[in-house]
Amino acid sequence: MTEALAPKLILLAPEMILFVAAVLVAIMGLSKNHGVRASLPFVTCVALIASIVAVGLTWTPENAQAANLLLPMLGRFVKPLIAGIGVLLVLVSVGSVDRRMEEGVARGRFAFDPQRVVRGEFYAFFLLSLTGAMLICNAQDLIWLFLAIELVSLPTYIMVAIGGSGSRNQEAAVKYFFLGAMSTAVFLYGFALIYGSTGSLAFLEIRDAFATQSAGSGIDTIAIIGIVLVVLGFCFKITAVPMHFYAPDVYEGAPTHVSAFLAFVPKTAGFTALILILTCVGWTGHTLIDSDGVRIPYSGLPTSISAILWMIAVLTMTLGNIGALLQTSVKRMLAYSSVAHSGYLILGLIAGATAGIEAVYFYLLAYGVMTTASFAVLASIERRGEEINSFADLAGLRVRHPVMAWMLALSAASLVGLPPFIGFFGKIYLFIAAFEADQFGLVLFAVLNSAISGLYYLRLAIVPLVSAPSARSEEITSLPTRWPYIAAVICGVGTIVLPVVAGMLIDSAKKSASPAAPLSTAIELPTHSAPEPGEGSTVLGAR
Amino acid sequence: MTAAGSIPQAVIAPELAWVGLAILLPLLSAILCALCAALRVKSKLPALITTVALAGSCFVIVKAYFAYSGPVEVPIFQWITFEWGDGKFQSFTADCALYIDSLTLYWMLFVTGLGTLITIYASEYMEEDCGKGYSRFFFGMSIFLFSMGALVMGDNLVMLYLGWEGVGLASYLLVGYYYERPSAVEAAKKAFIMNRIGDLGLALGIFMLWCNYGTLQYGELFAAMKDGGQTSVDWDLSVIPFLLMIGAFGKSAQIPLFTWLPDAMEGPTPVSALIHAATMVTAGVFLIARMYPFFELHPQALATVAWVGGSTALVAATIGMAQYDFKRVFAYSTISQLGYMFLGLGVGTTFGACYHTLTHAFFKALLFLTAGAIMHGFAGQLDLRKLSGLRQMPGWRIVSWTMLVGCLWLSAFPYTAAFFSKDAILFKALTSERGDFRFLGWVGLATAGLTAYYTFRVWFRICAGPVHYEAGPESHDQSHDQSHDQSHDKGKPDPTPEGESHGAFHPHAPRWAINGVLVILAIGAVVVGFPAYGHVFAHKENWVQAMMASSSAYQGACLESDHGTGAAVHTQTVLGLDPHTGLTIVGSTASIGGILIAWYFHLYSRKSADQLRAALLRRWWIRWVPICMENRWYVDEIYLACFRLPMWIGAQILNFGDRHFLDGVLVDGLAKFPIAVGKVFRPLYSGALQSYAITMTGGVALVLAWVTWIWLRGFN
Repeated sequence: MTEALAPKLILLAPEMILFVAAVLVAIMGLSKNHGVRASLPFVTCVALIASIVAVGLTWTPENAQAANLLLPMLGRFVKPLIAGIGVLLVLVSVGSVDRRMEEGVARGRFAFDPQRVVRGEFYAFFLLSLTGAMLICNAQDLIWLFLAIELVSLPTYIMVAIGGSGSRNQEAAVKYFFLGAMSTAVFLYGFALIYGSTGSLAFLEIRDAFATQSAGSGIDTIAIIGIVLVVLGFCFKITAVPMHFYAPDVYEGAPTHVSAFLAFVPKTAGFTALILILTCVGWTGHTLIDSDGVRIPYSGLPTSISAILWMIAVLTMTLGNIGALLQTSVKRMLAYSSVAHSGYLILGLIAGATAGIEAVYFYLLAYGVMTTASFAVLASIERRGEEINSFADLAGLRVRHPVMAWMLALSAASLVGLPPFIGFFGKIYLFIAAFEADQFGLVLFAVLNSAISGLYYLRLAIVPLVSAPSARSEEITSLPTRWPYIAAVICGVGTIVLPVVAGMLIDSAKKSASPAAPLSTAIELPTHSAPEPGEGSTVLGAR
Repeated sequence: MTAAGSIPQAVIAPELAWVGLAILLPLLSAILCALCAALRVKSKLPALITTVALAGSCFVIVKAYFAYSGPVEVPIFQWITFEWGDGKFQSFTADCALYIDSLTLYWMLFVTGLGTLITIYASEYMEEDCGKGYSRFFFGMSIFLFSMGALVMGDNLVMLYLGWEGVGLASYLLVGYYYERPSAVEAAKKAFIMNRIGDLGLALGIFMLWCNYGTLQYGELFAAMKDGGQTSVDWDLSVIPFLLMIGAFGKSAQIPLFTWLPDAMEGPTPVSALIHAATMVTAGVFLIARMYPFFELHPQALATVAWVGGSTALVAATIGMAQYDFKRVFAYSTISQLGYMFLGLGVGTTFGACYHTLTHAFFKALLFLTAGAIMHGFAGQLDLRKLSGLRQMPGWRIVSWTMLVGCLWLSAFPYTAAFFSKDAILFKALTSERGDFRFLGWVGLATAGLTAYYTFRVWFRICAGPVHYEAGPESHDQSHDQSHDQSHDKGKPDPTPEGESHGAFHPHAPRWAINGVLVILAIGAVVVGFPAYGHVFAHKENWVQAMMASSSAYQGACLESDHGTGAAVHTQTVLGLDPHTGLTIVGSTASIGGILIAWYFHLYSRKSADQLRAALLRRWWIRWVPICMENRWYVDEIYLACFRLPMWIGAQILNFGDRHFLDGVLVDGLAKFPIAVGKVFRPLYSGALQSYAITMTGGVALVLAWVTWIWLRGFN
């Protein structure tokens, strides 16, 4: 490869920081000193903040152009988004990992045993997973994308298992692992088919190949099936139909702070990967030139792909929202809500570049803040040393923990999409993007679904605020550490404060979605009589 | 006309972003006060924070005033942006940015200055609430100044609307400050709802502006109007000034939306002084001055403003004459004076209106603060029949004499600042070419006489005459200041039952914070007269006029009497004299006459006032006048019958339908549907790993089968 290595490496600075921090954290976790072990989350936070700074310093338009990426400015928004929500997720997890162990050591019930502690590993995996999510933005080819996605997923399987202390964690981890492996197989097969059809692994070449194909008789059927498999495989990451079945079980079984992680990080990774693949397929902004020399701007997905996305969106929203209605467990309800929100997000994918992409990222930001708020509230309180799970536990929360009750209400209001919360603005941008793409029916469907979602989100607000405290909820205490509480307050307040700067955020999201590296190619449409794709029909520098 | 031909084009000046501190500091102070409330701070810390923040904000504005050289737009950050195309009407932008011209600075100077002074006053006034509502109070004050700043300094109508609603919210919170008192809650609700009616007009006006001009930024709007102050026959253009004016009438308590302001006196007095006298209620005047070019879209728009202003001035003055609660007298006088300002705007002198706003802000804040000091010292006594001779009581001299200053200014005593500002308005009205404006001018003159009468009725009753006082209600029911008396009369038993409280009750005189602020305000009331003195005696250009002339309100900035240039314009005369001389004579007569009548009835022979009232009530053909005046012309009752009652009945009917039909049949029925659907899918979520794997694989297979089917059908 003749491209310069330096700009690529510079762009990887944030990942390097996180990787070094991961190693550091893994070693520090073995320290005998309690203070050092207690400092792990904060080391993690510092590393994440440093990586945000590094993105700001290194991800300049010049460097991004030099790195020859498909969506050059993607990382400038997505990496800080991942790291920023990551900081909040770290705060949510403070005090939960290794809690039994640490309490035992502190009371002197048993001696510190480096073989039994997992805190170091947990935060190391935490950082590695985020590193993977960030690496997706730098992906140039399918191999890199595959490795990055797996780097996101593999640590999460372990985090589910070791993040808490319940026996259900292992069950959830095993389910998550096996089903995750299956989904990986699905999209890997898709990658293989795409490679088979285009003969290339690099995104830019795949993009040109697809453009050439569609200028001819349309994209290869083999490639279409490959793309469909990739989309379905990624549906696992974003908890979309038909790969969403694991979500309720895993979210419920995982420790609350890991559930929060699962709700945001794999979803963001999955959507970023989907956006990269779909950009290759249809959002290239090629110009087609027909036989009369007329320029036709060409963009948009092949009908079959957008039809499948359409179906997935509708089913995902509907099954997510209807499933959530029946739940008595808050975490299961939030899992279904995660499914439903993925359904809304797919609207952005159907709307396409660039309004759709910017709406997707803005919504991911909004969703990250509001869902983390809910999970953080659940993580900040406990009942008899056990996690909060059912709605009955939350009844009358306001009496003992008024702030938490209000934060739950704020996040619920935002999740429904009530103005003036951030969720409302997220939905507005998504729906407008879809509307602009003439998807009126889909928007109507999404609005109906939002209305249905009000039924169960309002329960999340009303049960803590209005219901009378029950015998169960009387036993609720807050965790010894205040950090999840603080994270909940930050997120809850964020749902109201962020809309103030919504314009600024959507603007930077827009920059991240800004068109792929400017195309120097325009593709001549072959005459109707001779559909011969690939044969000298690509005119370089036609402009 | 010597006014400049158009509104000066604003230049973009990002380097002036520090002026944004004038808004940011009150916001910071609001956040800190909220923290104080959360941490249950028991000291005077919130007052200190607010004072420092507001003084800082005031300093920033003064600095900006000296750095000012022409209208500027200061971008701060992008706030709301929607784009759905490249065309003119295909984007909606509302940035967080400042529009600073001389009108902005003029307004902010007195808003922040008075805000600082009144906060200092309030730090003493509210001290009984230390640890209870103290932080909440200063939170409200900070939020108010933040919103007022956004209203005045914002670069577009969205920010103005944000500030407009923000001041409404602050007003609601502060009027309802004593939320244990049902009357305060009632008043807060009333103020809020009446304002909402006005706000609806404002919002519709803003929508119409956007629909017609595609922008809400002042710079672009004024540029669109530059082609000339054209009138329009299109209803969608000519409706704009009327909609905006409804908003202004609501906020500035004009007919028909004025009834909330007297009730708003339920709030603590510093609030009445700052929000309901000096600053917030002038937002309507600001709105019209800011959007002045748009008020020429319809030829009758300004005339409507003039008529509403003139009649409000008269009606409020007649009500003020017959009230016994002196804080309410001042409240009605505020409405009446605001009426003058609208009259000024309507007849075409923004200079007069804005100058009167400035002088009024000082003397009315002063009057309210003296009223507050008296209330504070006499345990909430507000009845002017139960207080007398304050002038001769030790510790009350400063209050009495500063109140005299306020009263002289309010009654436009010759050669006080208010005399000139009111003169500017009446002059313009009386020399107008329109007969109805001249008539309104005479109404204004008559109102000036009434004003002088009811103002000095208060002063002669309370401050002059023999010493006599009764304690107010709060010394008994201890509604909000339980520790009040204990803290000042240590060890003494609570005052004995009503009536004979004279012996046990000790009024406590104000201390430095209150007295100091009163003196500063009295000096300020004198100082704001300087521009006029300079104009009249030294023939210098009036500073206020210069400020107006370089702003959006330039069209009415000019006094047509500019010596030398405008002499030929004088076709109108007042009582056959040169309008200047004539107006000076008539205005002075009205003012001094009113004071003399007040002196006769309320100091020289207080009995005769009651005799006069009794005499009026005895005669059937005149008895309706005092009855209507005392009962506020039954406006509240009319509103109750015309609006509240029908709406209450409608609400009951809808409530019935909602419960039994919508809720019972439709909602409950519909809600069952998704749940039933959910139950259908439940078996898929069995919890077993294998079944999940099978379901997922099945899903993938189904999708692939579908794709293959599409492919076979030949679609792509």
